[in-house]
Amino acid sequence: MGTRVAASQVLRWTLRNATSVFSPLQFGRCLLQPLCTGGRLLCSSTSHGPLQPTLHDRELNPLSRQPVTELSLPSLVDMGFTDSQAEQMYEATSKLRGTSTSKHALSTLTALFVLGLNPSSVQKILEKCPELYTVTESQFQQRIGNMRKLGLVEGSLQRVVSHYPQILTVPVKTVKNVVLFLKEKCLFTFQQVTDLLRDSPAVVLEDRGQLEYKFQYVYFRMGIKQAEMVKSRLFRYTLEEVRCRHCFLERRGLYQTPDKKGQTMIINPKLDSILHFDQDTFLTNVANASAEEYEVFQRLMAREWLEEEQLQGNIEADSDDDEEEDEEDEETGGKSGYRKKRKR
Amino acid sequence: MALLMDTRLLLRKVKDLRCLTQRRHRVKEKWAVTRTKYPATTLALQNFDATYSVQLGQLWPSVRAALLSERKYGALLNNYCHDDVQAELQAKGCKDFPTDKEIEVQPCLEQEPEVAGEEESCRVSVEKSDPDAQQLPPLQLSPNIKCLVFPRGDITRFKPARPDMFGCLGYYLMDAASVLPCLALNVQEGHNVLDLCAAPGGKTLALLQTKSIGFLCVNDTSVSRTSRLRKVLQSYVPKPFLSEGKLRITSFDGTKWGEIERNTFDRVLVDVPCTTDRHSLMEDDNNIFSKNRTGERRRLPQLQLALLLAGIEAACPGGEILYSTCTLSQVQNLSVVEQAIHTAREDHGIHLQVVDLRPLAHMFRKTFQFAPNLPLGVMVVPHIAANFGPIYMCKLRRLA
Repeated sequence: MGTRVAASQVLRWTLRNATSVFSPLQFGRCLLQPLCTGGRLLCSSTSHGPLQPTLHDRELNPLSRQPVTELSLPSLVDMGFTDSQAEQMYEATSKLRGTSTSKHALSTLTALFVLGLNPSSVQKILEKCPELYTVTESQFQQRIGNMRKLGLVEGSLQRVVSHYPQILTVPVKTVKNVVLFLKEKCLFTFQQVTDLLRDSPAVVLEDRGQLEYKFQYVYFRMGIKQAEMVKSRLFRYTLEEVRCRHCFLERRGLYQTPDKKGQTMIINPKLDSILHFDQDTFLTNVANASAEEYEVFQRLMAREWLEEEQLQGNIEADSDDDEEEDEEDEETGGKSGYRKKRKR
Repeated sequence: MALLMDTRLLLRKVKDLRCLTQRRHRVKEKWAVTRTKYPATTLALQNFDATYSVQLGQLWPSVRAALLSERKYGALLNNYCHDDVQAELQAKGCKDFPTDKEIEVQPCLEQEPEVAGEEESCRVSVEKSDPDAQQLPPLQLSPNIKCLVFPRGDITRFKPARPDMFGCLGYYLMDAASVLPCLALNVQEGHNVLDLCAAPGGKTLALLQTKSIGFLCVNDTSVSRTSRLRKVLQSYVPKPFLSEGKLRITSFDGTKWGEIERNTFDRVLVDVPCTTDRHSLMEDDNNIFSKNRTGERRRLPQLQLALLLAGIEAACPGGEILYSTCTLSQVQNLSVVEQAIHTAREDHGIHLQVVDLRPLAHMFRKTFQFAPNLPLGVMVVPHIAANFGPIYMCKLRRLA
């Protein structure tokens, strides 16, 4: 009920300023569409009829006469924020005041309310990700629409947005590319991609190479299929974490890469149990090792990988040298840099 | 007729040449069968998994992880070098582990080593049943050996050693646990010492650091390895100390030593060839676990026994023999020593006493991890925080 009231408040407030800010045409396109998608919400709020801006409302709020798009403190309170929340929001938006981005603040709020989020979570989201103020209304629609298209139904969508609001700052094209990559390069099914996005939306902003390497590492080195990767929420963990824990188990003889038929001599622990536990539980339950051992191991591994990367860098640099002699100076510069690092 | 015979002979000779058989009659080479399915390092790992998981039990996973991770080195300090390398290394956080031992044992060190229970000496596991671990008999160590290591858990590496103004290198990088056999050998002033399998020279160099050896006899079967050993010694020890009267480098078959020089040496170090566990897991080249060296690997315990017996024969009565390997394998460690003690008594009439090295293990437990409850000798097992070893050693004293 709280959300509904807030939404209607936003709506009312927007309508009030609408004439000055948007042309009616624009308004129709920009605002009504998201409201329609959240159908139930709009119906219920209109049927109660608090939509018409009343006369005394205007008189009470002298600010509303001015053709401003910026949020005022009372208007924020009107939307359902508590006083302290409203103050925080006001402060946040006032920093943006006067810039071109400030006029999107209202549409941001609208979009979030329309998603069905309540004021306190809206406030939290905006605190977590103030970049959302800069997103335009049409971008919001496209991005949310795209996420729905990807199978994030009501509920999941809200969860994703409140857990990882940054996803709304990512262009539709990027998200589409990531999804395409997951489907074509990693052979995840549509449903698996949906689950991936729901459980670890941060993949959309992760470096593509890193993502591919992580997938291939788990797929080939650990012999784990896509379904289990999704189930164990692999993409929430960094490559270093995954690799370090796996290598530790492997060197202790507790994990084997399955052969072509997927067979191993020992029973491997589930990916889930390798990743989910905190370090102490992992060490006692899965690895059977002391904290000292793992700590030293992590340092050794970090050095090993660093050297491996440098070695690869050197090899690449060498092969480049053969191809192009123009870049010789740069390449040698790079190599000497590696050498310096190794000496340390 | 003769011509016919000749041609037949010729044909028989030629038959092997593939070019003359028709292609359809040629046997297709089964390259997939002859090619090794796994690299030798993998075979080594499988072998270790099978044997050591039984032998070490709970300890094996941790030892396995350590063996597969980067090893730690110790810097054997060159006493012939004129630079003050020790201070330089200590400034980086190194510690000299032979001096960095447990304090409660130190007072006993000044005393003479007591020969306990001579009448029991023939039995192999005499001194292991000592119920009171606190009253361990004192143990003397070879003097002057300094080996610097980074403390437990520190994974810093050493830089390559630099030569001083006379061309002597400051330190020799080797597994710090390999210094232990040299320490345990207890070389005293004027001793005649034999190093039966010396190459590549780390232990020999450690023995030379004591500066108290009367005559050092260095041997290794392989000529190429002795030449390498000679190079090592030349780059660490000044010429006057390597003169004919002090040092002899030979390339004889070590197993025949009993026939060459009997009852001569006060101290004998028998650091036998073994499966070199750590090396076998890391290096595919010339790996002892590769298919074509299977026979050699099977014969190892036999060779080790022969070498140890030769060493026992070369030692004078009252002399001490130290047997060491760098493997965890029971067959190459305990069994060889047991068998040697038995054979020496039965066949050669030599009675041997096992010297308890547990005080040594107690002394250096801060630096190394030792295998618990070994019935005979002591063994350094690798631990990822103190990644030295594996080294097994057992000390014998010749009685008659």
